[in-house]
Amino acid sequence: MQASRARLFKEYKEVQREKVADPDIQLVCDDSNIFKWTALIKGPSETPYDGGVFQLAFSVPEQYPLQPPQVRFLTKIFHPNVHFKTGEICLDILKNAWSPAWTLQSVCRAIIALMAHPEPDSPLNCDSGNLLRSGDIRGYQSMARMYTRLAAMPKKGELVFR
Amino acid sequence: MDSDEQDLYYGSGGDVVSEEEDGYYCNDGDAAGDDEPDRTTFTQETTYTILREEDVKKRAENDIAQVSTLLSVSRGLACHLLCRNNWCLNAVYDQWFADAERSDELPPHQESGEQLCGICFEPFEIEDMVSASCVHSFCAGCWKTYISFSINDGPGCLRLQCPEPKCRAVAGVDMVESMASVDEKQKYYGYLYRSYVECNRNRKWCPASGCEFAVEFKDAGGCESYDVTCDCYYKFCWNCIEESHRPVDCKTVEKWIKKNSSEAENTNWILAYTKPCPKCHRAIEKNQGCNHMTCRSPCKHQFCWVCLGPWEKHTSNSTCNTYRNQSSNINEESRERVKHFLARYTHYYERWDSNDKSKKRALTDLNQARNQHIDTLAQTQGENMAGVQFVIDAWTQIVECRRVLKWSYAYGYYHTSKEKPGKLDFFGYLQGEAEAALERLHYCAEKEMSKYLIADRPLEDFKDFKSKLLQLTAVTGNYFQNLVLALENDLSEVDDETSGTKN
Repeated sequence: MQASRARLFKEYKEVQREKVADPDIQLVCDDSNIFKWTALIKGPSETPYDGGVFQLAFSVPEQYPLQPPQVRFLTKIFHPNVHFKTGEICLDILKNAWSPAWTLQSVCRAIIALMAHPEPDSPLNCDSGNLLRSGDIRGYQSMARMYTRLAAMPKKGELVFR
Repeated sequence: MDSDEQDLYYGSGGDVVSEEEDGYYCNDGDAAGDDEPDRTTFTQETTYTILREEDVKKRAENDIAQVSTLLSVSRGLACHLLCRNNWCLNAVYDQWFADAERSDELPPHQESGEQLCGICFEPFEIEDMVSASCVHSFCAGCWKTYISFSINDGPGCLRLQCPEPKCRAVAGVDMVESMASVDEKQKYYGYLYRSYVECNRNRKWCPASGCEFAVEFKDAGGCESYDVTCDCYYKFCWNCIEESHRPVDCKTVEKWIKKNSSEAENTNWILAYTKPCPKCHRAIEKNQGCNHMTCRSPCKHQFCWVCLGPWEKHTSNSTCNTYRNQSSNINEESRERVKHFLARYTHYYERWDSNDKSKKRALTDLNQARNQHIDTLAQTQGENMAGVQFVIDAWTQIVECRRVLKWSYAYGYYHTSKEKPGKLDFFGYLQGEAEAALERLHYCAEKEMSKYLIADRPLEDFKDFKSKLLQLTAVTGNYFQNLVLALENDLSEVDDETSGTKN
């Protein structure tokens, strides 16, 4: 418990310092609970998620960093490896390939990479996975694009990234 | 088991486990024992080795040392390679020499100054930090919790790697040695030696409950018998891990066991002995003579058992005795057929089950003979241990024969129905002869022996008893040998006779 708190505190300070370094990620810790974090990530360019801003919720276990954090999308997203209803993410580093050298920041980077390179063979969203597996790239992209427009576009005048 | 009974056992176990051991008696299988013709198991040669806990440990360590020396790698990496290749030495070497891109172990990083630990993000002096065989250093505290967490998380700790993502450097047994607590080390080694048995397809645990021995099977190719006798005396089939079932094949055994446990036979019973109420369709068994049936409340429908028509239309003008429609007759026929199948199955099952129970009982008796009776006999009848060994032989034979007899009923169920009647007769004849001989032997060993056990002085006719039991053992052994061979040839002698090749 103490170790996880100390480590999260280090990460918090690091995030404050690195904010400028990675313009695509904005990690925010809950004011009252260091085990709850949210992140805003920018949809990677040249993907149907480009231009969208996606919110992630982190729930950090007491055994962190020996155990991975639980992460899910709060923003609706059409992606083969994200559950359409719950936002649950299927990503190896969040399960058995986790290592304590990962940080919340690097998890965000891994999720951005997953958005750009979906793994249709282990789908949580079967419709999306099937479109890709059957080679219907256009179908997948237009669906993903539509949901990005519907759910992930910052409203006019709203300043998401500081 | 205690050492006494090991010393007294001349069994038919595996071959020599460790050359250093002075194998006088053959519990680990001694060379002298293998020369003797094996009367009890009907097997020709031993193709397996029984491994005790120490043997597993010794052999695993041998393999690790061998890989480590041959490839000039650390003990930790050797362990890792073996685990990854299911403890197959050839696979380790093949993979090692084929994998040109393998990351060679790097010398530890020699620098001084401070560095951030990649896990707790605290600064440490370089010399206080630890790395696996790579350049990624973490502080000793983080390594310890990392290793400890992984060991407590299960056997996955055998594949532990450097915490740096994408780094494939092995955090192996040498790191565990230097960092883990005593308990954790013990746990780690437990997983390691377990994987030695479980991950290799030539090794398995003995399936007997409570037995901790492992078996290594030498797959000689074209080997006919899968029978394994563990040092705990349990006999099992290497192939299907069920109890030994020679002469019946694994497939038949699987079918039979499935059949015995399935609900199908219950369903058949219901079909054969009950009829559904024509109104509410609940299954009804007729257990009284009268054909006027009244279903249980709330249905309370009254009907005739024979024609299933409503009872009120039945009384004045009996509709039942004249032949009406065919469909109900077909129902009756199928009911009879099912009844016949069920009776047939019950016949074989009862005998299979009863021999199974006899076998279990005989196994207890065998152990009792081993642990008590032969001592008592040797004392009261003034014999040495070799002089009363015939009792053990007799009981071993009984257990073995009960087992064969039991499975011969499963064979009978599956293989005699559609065969030519000649085969069925021949099978029945062989089985009957064998069974009768076994009953004589079993009776002699069980009942006639008690007299010599309770005697307080040597009895004159003990020699006669001994020769009788010895003879019965041999005779029964012959009968069962014939039965086993005949069933393994699928009773082909009958074919020969009918086709006239035999006079």
